Amino acid sequence: MDIALLGNPNTGKTSMFNNLTGSYEYVGNWSGVTVEKKVGIFKQGAAKLIDLPGVYSLNPLSKDEGVVTRFLLDDPFDRMLNIVDASQLERNLHLTLQLIEFGSPLIIGLNMIDVAKNRGIQVDVEKLSSVLGVEVVPVVARTGRGCKDLAEAATTPYRETKKQFQVDYGEEIDKAITKLEQLLQGESSHSTRWLTLQLLEGNPYVKKYLQSYIDMADLDGLIHSTSRAVLAGSEVRTIEQFIYKRRQAAIGEILKETTEVKGNSGQPLSEKIDLIITNKWLGLPIFLCVMYVLFMLTFDWLGFPLSDALDAFISGPITEGISQLLDLVGASKFIHALVLDGIVAGVGGVLVFVPQIFILFFFISILEDSGYMARVALVMDRLMEMVGLNGKAFIPMMIGFGCNVPGIMAARTIETPRERLMTTLLTPLMSCSARLPVYALFVGAFFVHQKALVVLSLYVLGIVVALILAKIFSNTLLRGETSFFVIELPPYRLPQAKALWKSTWEKGKGFVKKAGTFIFAGSVIIWLLSYAGPGGTNVQMDDSFLAMIGGVFAPLLAPLGFGTWQAGASLLTGFLAKEAIISTMNIIYFVPDEAGLQGILANTFSPLSAYSFMVFILLYIPCLATVATIKKETGSYKWTFFSMGYALAIAYILSLIIYQVGQVFGL
Amino acid sequence: MLSMLRKGEKAIITDISKADELVKRRLLDLGITEGSEVCIKCKMPFGGPFMLESCGQCVGIRKNEASCIKVEGL
Repeated sequence: MDIALLGNPNTGKTSMFNNLTGSYEYVGNWSGVTVEKKVGIFKQGAAKLIDLPGVYSLNPLSKDEGVVTRFLLDDPFDRMLNIVDASQLERNLHLTLQLIEFGSPLIIGLNMIDVAKNRGIQVDVEKLSSVLGVEVVPVVARTGRGCKDLAEAATTPYRETKKQFQVDYGEEIDKAITKLEQLLQGESSHSTRWLTLQLLEGNPYVKKYLQSYIDMADLDGLIHSTSRAVLAGSEVRTIEQFIYKRRQAAIGEILKETTEVKGNSGQPLSEKIDLIITNKWLGLPIFLCVMYVLFMLTFDWLGFPLSDALDAFISGPITEGISQLLDLVGASKFIHALVLDGIVAGVGGVLVFVPQIFILFFFISILEDSGYMARVALVMDRLMEMVGLNGKAFIPMMIGFGCNVPGIMAARTIETPRERLMTTLLTPLMSCSARLPVYALFVGAFFVHQKALVVLSLYVLGIVVALILAKIFSNTLLRGETSFFVIELPPYRLPQAKALWKSTWEKGKGFVKKAGTFIFAGSVIIWLLSYAGPGGTNVQMDDSFLAMIGGVFAPLLAPLGFGTWQAGASLLTGFLAKEAIISTMNIIYFVPDEAGLQGILANTFSPLSAYSFMVFILLYIPCLATVATIKKETGSYKWTFFSMGYALAIAYILSLIIYQVGQVFGL
Repeated sequence: MLSMLRKGEKAIITDISKADELVKRRLLDLGITEGSEVCIKCKMPFGGPFMLESCGQCVGIRKNEASCIKVEGL
């Protein structure tokens, strides 16, 4: 049995998904975390739960909201589970009524009854259930209270006993429903009532769906004649508004019967926090402080010693153990070299950074779960508006700090296509966690005393370049269309340890997995390329195939300060995955550990060329996975190649300026 | 106009028809329309967005959009 999970944004849908399915799922407290539908299996294994993006209505404004409408139209499923926020019942019921109109079996999980109670709202669950004609189960998704009951209700066979609630939209709309029924001639399996209402509300997906059965002119005629008839005797201006008002009136009646409001219990804690966090003058400084602490913890205070310890462990006991094991089984010299110089150096060099990457992901998860992300969008909006974007575009960019791929997917929540495309193109400039090992390595070798500061400067550089390019793009390539910004600021919620760990692991496991597969295979290939050359096997590294390939790029890179075949070869592998740069360098320079590599690097790089190299790595190209995501999201080869081309050009120019100007100043 | 309200002031929306279509639709999704009571919680500096509170939820909108929404003070 397939159950679709639907609800408004910020109603705890994703926590409910976690509670019901027990799978590791990504939770977020800002609209748009669920950018693609995700499927989980119920704990009892009885059914599949499909998590869909949060929507306010089935008539979509943004691309991720369209996912829901398209799902309802095209995908088969057995029933719908609607999560409703009891503290915002009025707004939530608009979606519920549309789901009832859709007509598939429906169950309601009434979430946040505790929050509602705190705000003095008492919901009579049984009454609500009997009025709507839908089973309602009260739950607190955050603590898991009631989730068992809900799981049971959702998975037990459906008994259609009650008559479901119907909004009275008046005679004219009923006529339109009958008319559409005739036009369809029974060809669609969906409820005609729902199709008619969505069509009249201007739902583009439903209109397109109906066009496959009915002539466009007939549809427009139906919309026109109905609008005229409906609006004739009323003061509302559009039919969309008319339908909304009718629903609103019906909801008013439902609420009167089912809820009781006992005065307001003073200013909620969330608003008190907002007095400081989104304070007119403190908002931006607080955000910068949060970012600073995040970087200090990741690179300096906590992450660095942990990575160091792990490095010592891998290069010491582990390498030794493997070496002895190989001796024990009598492995050949070739295997010995392949395992230790290739795999251990390549994969180990990347795994060393697992602690730092997990710390970074942990903090991004806190920012998401607490509801702070939406505030960041608010605080940053003025700046983003100046460059032709809106504050919401900052959220994909922040997520891009973790990994560019989910960052680009999060851009779907941006409503206007122009801003969405721009955010998609610029998010790769955000320094993702895979670039972090490269910085960590180089700052460790060249900037020991200003580690966090140098790394922070790279992150800031990425943002600044993105903002400048946004301004340029919006004045040249992507002109027109006004920018748009309305954002819901969900109440602050204390992130829960379990959910935090889950979402940190969910994000970080990709990195570990990549080390075990992609980087593993890559290390073997790179090592083999460095082992073999035109002159046979076991050649001097400088005579190997790898040196030949990297050497092609060396002259091009010389003006940037790193014109060696080693840099060329590692940048080439960096396109596959940014952390592969580290694996490649470890293999090329024949060292199994970070400290050894740093020692060698000090001979081939100067601090200036090291910085130029880091800037180049920050900007030069989105990794393969990101390129694939850009292609998927934009659906255009032109924009995909553009995203690669402009990055390469910007990286080259900036690194050139940094190195050449730096040399003039004698750095 | 909504943009003229001071921080902490409450008002009722009387006319939202001049606002951008998308803004109107999104505010409607959030249950904010003509007749809703709103309160300015915070204004960001340099002509930045406003934070509104209406029926227990907070929403951010831009200043120029707020200046298209007519309100009546309470």
